[in-house]
Amino acid sequence: MTDRFVVGSFGEPGTMLAAVDALRGAGVAIHDVFAPYPVHGLDQAMGIRRSRLPLVTLLAGLGGLCFALAFQYYTAVFDWPLDVGGKPENSTLAFVPVCFELTVLIGGLGTVGAFLLRARLFPGKREQLAALGVTNNVFAIVTYAPRDANDDELARRIMLENGADEVEEREGST
Amino acid sequence: MTNRRPSCEEAAHAAPGGGEPLVQIGLPTGTRSTGFDATRRDVLSLMGFSLGALGVAGCRAPVQHAVPLPTASVEMVPGVPNLYATTCGGCSAACALVVKQRDGRPIKIEGNESSPLTGGGTCAAGQASVLSLYDDARLRGPSWLGNPVSWPEMDRHIRTALGGHSDAREVVLLSQTITSPSTRAVLEDLRAVFPKFRHVVYDPMSLAPLRAANRLCHGVAVIPHYRFDRARVVVGLEADFLGTWLAPVEFARQWAQRRKAGAERAFHVQCEAGLSVTGSNADLRLAVAPSDLGRFAVALLAAVARRLGDEQPAGLDASALAQETTHAAAVDRIAAELVRSRGESLVVSGSDDVATQIVVARLNAQLGNIGKTVDLERPSWQRQGDDAALPALINDMNRGAVHALMIWGANPVYDHPDGAAFRAALAKVALTISFADRRDETSAHVHAVCPDHHFLEAWGDAEPVAGQFSLRQPLIAPLHDTRAAVESMLAWADRPADHRSVVRDFWRRALYGRTTPAPGGFEDFWERTLERGVVEIPRPPVATHPFAGDWEGAVRDIISRGRANRSGAEHGGGYELALLETVGARDGRHANNPWLQELPDPMTRLTWGNVACVAPETAAALGVATGDVVSLTTEIGKLELPAFVQAGQQRRTISVAVGYGRWAAGKAGDGVGANVFPLARVENGARRYWARVAIAKTGRRARLAPAQTHFSMEGREIVQFEHVNEHEHEHEKLPDLWRERLRGAHAWGMSIDLDACTGCSACVVACQAENNIPVVGAEQVRKSRIMHWMRIDRYFEGDGEDARSLHQPMMCQHCQHAPCETVCPVLATTTSSEGINQQVYNRCIGTRYCANNCPYKVRRFNWHNFTANDDFPYNMQSPLGRLVLNPDVTVRSRGVMEKCNLCVQRIQLGKNQAVLQRRPMADGDVATACQQACPTGAIVFGDRGDPDSRVSKLLAGQRAYNVLEELGTRPNVGYLKRIARKEST
Amino acid sequence: MSTGAMEPTAGTGPEIAPATRWIEGTPSLHRITTDISRPMEAKPGRGWWICFGIAGAAVLNLLGMVTYLFAKGIGIWGLNNAVGWAFDITNFVFWIGIGHAGTLISAILLLFRQKWRTSINRSAEAMTIFAVMCAGLFPLIHMGRPWDAFFIFPYFPNQRGPLWVNFRSPLVWDVFAISTYFTISLVFWYLGMIPDLATLRDRAVSGIKKFVFRILSMGWNGSQRTWSRYEIVSLVLAALATPLVLSVHSIVSTDFATSLLPGWHTTIFPPYFVAGAIYSGFGMVLTLLIITRQTMHLERYITTNHLEAMAKVTLLTGSLVGYAYATEFFNAWYSGNVYERFHFINRATGPYAWCFYLMVLCNVLTPQIFWWKRARRSIPLLFIASILVNVGMWFERFVIIVVSLHRAFLPSGWGMFYPTVFDVGILIGVFGLFFSLFLLFIRALPMIAMWEVKGVAND
Repeated sequence: MTDRFVVGSFGEPGTMLAAVDALRGAGVAIHDVFAPYPVHGLDQAMGIRRSRLPLVTLLAGLGGLCFALAFQYYTAVFDWPLDVGGKPENSTLAFVPVCFELTVLIGGLGTVGAFLLRARLFPGKREQLAALGVTNNVFAIVTYAPRDANDDELARRIMLENGADEVEEREGST
Repeated sequence: MTNRRPSCEEAAHAAPGGGEPLVQIGLPTGTRSTGFDATRRDVLSLMGFSLGALGVAGCRAPVQHAVPLPTASVEMVPGVPNLYATTCGGCSAACALVVKQRDGRPIKIEGNESSPLTGGGTCAAGQASVLSLYDDARLRGPSWLGNPVSWPEMDRHIRTALGGHSDAREVVLLSQTITSPSTRAVLEDLRAVFPKFRHVVYDPMSLAPLRAANRLCHGVAVIPHYRFDRARVVVGLEADFLGTWLAPVEFARQWAQRRKAGAERAFHVQCEAGLSVTGSNADLRLAVAPSDLGRFAVALLAAVARRLGDEQPAGLDASALAQETTHAAAVDRIAAELVRSRGESLVVSGSDDVATQIVVARLNAQLGNIGKTVDLERPSWQRQGDDAALPALINDMNRGAVHALMIWGANPVYDHPDGAAFRAALAKVALTISFADRRDETSAHVHAVCPDHHFLEAWGDAEPVAGQFSLRQPLIAPLHDTRAAVESMLAWADRPADHRSVVRDFWRRALYGRTTPAPGGFEDFWERTLERGVVEIPRPPVATHPFAGDWEGAVRDIISRGRANRSGAEHGGGYELALLETVGARDGRHANNPWLQELPDPMTRLTWGNVACVAPETAAALGVATGDVVSLTTEIGKLELPAFVQAGQQRRTISVAVGYGRWAAGKAGDGVGANVFPLARVENGARRYWARVAIAKTGRRARLAPAQTHFSMEGREIVQFEHVNEHEHEHEKLPDLWRERLRGAHAWGMSIDLDACTGCSACVVACQAENNIPVVGAEQVRKSRIMHWMRIDRYFEGDGEDARSLHQPMMCQHCQHAPCETVCPVLATTTSSEGINQQVYNRCIGTRYCANNCPYKVRRFNWHNFTANDDFPYNMQSPLGRLVLNPDVTVRSRGVMEKCNLCVQRIQLGKNQAVLQRRPMADGDVATACQQACPTGAIVFGDRGDPDSRVSKLLAGQRAYNVLEELGTRPNVGYLKRIARKEST
Repeated sequence: MSTGAMEPTAGTGPEIAPATRWIEGTPSLHRITTDISRPMEAKPGRGWWICFGIAGAAVLNLLGMVTYLFAKGIGIWGLNNAVGWAFDITNFVFWIGIGHAGTLISAILLLFRQKWRTSINRSAEAMTIFAVMCAGLFPLIHMGRPWDAFFIFPYFPNQRGPLWVNFRSPLVWDVFAISTYFTISLVFWYLGMIPDLATLRDRAVSGIKKFVFRILSMGWNGSQRTWSRYEIVSLVLAALATPLVLSVHSIVSTDFATSLLPGWHTTIFPPYFVAGAIYSGFGMVLTLLIITRQTMHLERYITTNHLEAMAKVTLLTGSLVGYAYATEFFNAWYSGNVYERFHFINRATGPYAWCFYLMVLCNVLTPQIFWWKRARRSIPLLFIASILVNVGMWFERFVIIVVSLHRAFLPSGWGMFYPTVFDVGILIGVFGLFFSLFLLFIRALPMIAMWEVKGVAND
């Protein structure tokens, strides 16, 4: 579905941060902020909750560990036990390195996979830029456009007061 | 273990035309040509074809005495080897053999255990001789004046050239020693046909002086039959009887019997210039220069005489004689030992000096050894060569007195100092014939080359020692258009006969009568003898008389010459060149055999060529290092060879191996090393094997091809010693990290007795033949990439002349806790349920981690494709040469690891036999190739799971130990410590 | 992994004095973008072409020699029954070692909040990936039968019955360690590049460029919600990569440590190898950065402060390595084991002693000059030292491998290794491969993480 937004572009992270605070103080819901690099303090300002991705890492990692252990035990003890240098079939200590590597591998890939899914990033996705240069030197605050006329100017005003270079209304899809 | 066949004839009685001998044909007659091109895998199909081919052949007369495989199914079980008894043609020792034949091809030589002489042992050259059968250099057929002809044509040419027999034109046969009684009989017949027939016997390494001495002392010009097994004290004077001298296999066996006799263990002294296999095994070894050998013998004689209160050489007092040698003290002790065991001692000498031999004969006589350890009445018929005859023959040839000359098994152009003269003289002979199997140095200059069979294609018999007979029967139809020399000679004498009936008739006529008649008559006797291979037929003793030689004359002669020598030595370098035989090269007749060329010499560990062995002190004095090319100049010639600094070498002597430097032996043998034969002169009719020599550096360097480069044990307990009457010590067992794993029905293991191992290297070649081990050539050996699974490590203890050389057979130790297995990423090497460390070739990806982690460095890697690869032009490259491959053993591809697998294919065969006979496996059912080849029985293989097996008992014994035991690899291969006598240390 | 780690916004760590500036001057955000994009948008200069020409020639030589190797077998190398590994595994361990600096800089320094990593982590990670690619070549070509190399993976369905791999073998551990390391490094590197790829996408004028960067940048639009997850993921990956990087060279060292060969059978190998790896890695990073900052005019972003910091790490790890050498000798003597003792005497006095002394000279003595600040800040000195470090580290591996093998337990099995033209040729060829890849990288991708630099620049 398409929606209408108010987009304010800033040249300075400081002013942008101030604007975010002001907007939230005024109770304007901020859709998102776009920046060329992660601006310190913006998360708190926007009140973004901490991501639960590390949990994914933990689960994927444990999965890898279990798989590695089970697989090595199965091949060395059940499927075809062989006398290798007179060592016991279940040479657990010798299995440790592979277990560790698979934990890391699957844990890491799982996390990245989850991140791409959650952030809806995939190769060839057409980008939606809040403003030209958000990947270069522009910081853009995007709020939902107001439904009624009386506080029509609120978001725009606050942004301009806080030093926005430009404020415009645009249509876009979330 | 396999179905041992009485003879190739068994089926013959069933076969049509009964009388015809029946030989397993290995190759279709139709393919007998240079163009022959078959791989190992093709052979069976070719054999199928051979029936047709034979049909074609059958249209020609005479019919090939062979049947194709399909009709011989009575004996031929595909995949099951047949064993046939025959007699070795490798040298004049004529050892009794049992040859393994697979799918009609002889592929492996084994010793005949029923032989009272060898007891189943063989030597390196014998083991390798099966490869010579498939030698590409062999002639494909007869040739007249260099052009190939058919046999009938050849016979026509020769008959015309001989021009009838009536007249008195001299016909001479020049041959090596002939130990075959039937052939000797044939030669008698020839005398009847050719009025002036003469037989000249010539051996490149002759023992004529020994026979001469016995003629002078005992009235018979024979080589005694020595009995080392009866001797408690053995003194060898320049006689390498464990390696190359006379009958090494037989002697090694006798010697080992005494060595293993515990308290009765013989005391063995060896005096020699160059380090030999025998010297390295002696309890006491003395380095004596060739020119001093006689004086040493004299001193020994004097010392013995003094102890016996016996008469002294007139006009010479013992004390003076004792000063004749530098080893006075040792001489006295040796004399003591000899006298203590009178009648149970033995002095043997290979000296080329009659006087010295007389002194030795006198020694044996005084010690009462005649008839006990020295048997003159039942002598040896080997080495009958007569040094004086060849120069005489050359004169006759030059005089034009010789009308026709037949050369059989002799190659004087190569191996005689007068070779050039002989070659020139050949031109003066109206008709020259050679039976050589190749265009060698001599046969290249004759009119007619009538190639003889290889001994594996031929009939025959042998009597190496009086009364000890053995039969030879063919294992394969002649590969090429060759004909038995006997048949040829008989044909030219207009008494055509096939060799088999010649032998058979002789045995019926001359030998059968002397045996206790068999129930089945001669047929029965013949069958049984063919099956057994050997038979003992008593013969009247040779008449001898007690010692009556002019030994005092000999002594004076030696002393005077010795003094002259010494003064000569003062001015003029004073170095002596000593020619010696090595176990690989022998006298050079096997030069084109790549197995022997690549066999590391046990004493130098060098392959592919000979060197000038120089003592370390001498090398230092001359500023010569190993690899420096030196020039050796004697009064009759000059030679350039790389020097090799050899501990144990006599200071004033430079030893050089004969048998190298062939120029017409074939692809593998030509131009390898240098020919030293011409440097030793012929002195008043007798051949000398040493000469005064001047040695000089040339400044050039040569690249040797050593199989081992470091000879010190670096103080590590690798070869361990047991000191006689050392108190028993408890052998503590190392703790084990893991539970013992379940084993299968067997736990294979091996014991190697370092006290019995002489280092003769027969096992190395046997292993190579059994396991299809490729030859890699000098360049790869230089890069230390030799492929032998079994190697004989050689270490030195002490230095200088007194250095003692230790041999240690080393192959995969089949560790129960194998370091190689743990590191292999793909499980290509694991321990079998029967304790064998097995290598899975088709799983191996060649990371070489196993070889790096093997403390014994016994794993071998296929760095290149060594099979059917023109970069390695040895037997495996040639379609003919590949016929020797053992179909039971995979031919390894490039890039895989390989190593000893305890002849797992033989184990499997043994199991199958046991199953077929519905019995459990017994100890001794399986013998590995190395064990079977060993003449001294140093190697014992068996089931360690069975406490009563020989190997279990040996490895439980006091002398047993494992190499690098402290690493906890728990090998299944154990060693028995070498016994060190106090005297020797 | 404390809560601090979870809050990327926490201020700079106390380690770095606030005085140190990691960027010269105060460039605007746009200036940073243009500066860093310049190499990718301008035509390559002559210098670049010369370097690429040389490296490319070496790659062709590598292709030729490897082809011949596969045709003839590894017999064309100088290896033999005594010395089963030489240049092949030496190169393998060397390149794996080189690969360690990248992950170390990007992961460990990230956890430690080292701001100075921002200008160099991208190229260091790229170097890691290329080095691991070079290293991975050797396990393959050193095999006797490379066409059967897949046997080393536990694959399914398994045509050869239930025949798997030997999980007791360090070579199998290597397979897992290196493939994991390569994958994680690649992902980490790529993830870190996505925002910059987006920047390039938005700068791109030509259609193709835009198209390619659009695919690569996955529609990145700088959303703060994504940024916050993004930083969490980076930290997680860093947290995973840190033990991974330590494990990889530890496992590589077990190839030797788990064997029983004197000179290999040593318990200090894992830490010793890791130190050596970081050491050689930093050596290589120094070499590359000194070259690129000059040729690409990025002195503003890769400052002398960066180089000095790396010099300090080099000094530390170099001294660690030297300590390890000493420990080995002491233990050999202290163990009283004849084989151990002989091996180390042979290492210092045997036929390969010159390699040993060259190694000590380069690895232990060279970095000692970095005790002096002047030396740490002198570009020529740093450059020479970084080269020496790499020479020394290559010889360290050669000494460990060849000198241990050539004289092991049984003197009868002793031998010598002499390299052939193919040993040397392949060594050179692989260096060519590495540098070609790096040269292409600095042309095609942002060799400095713009977004991170921007973050640092505006603090």
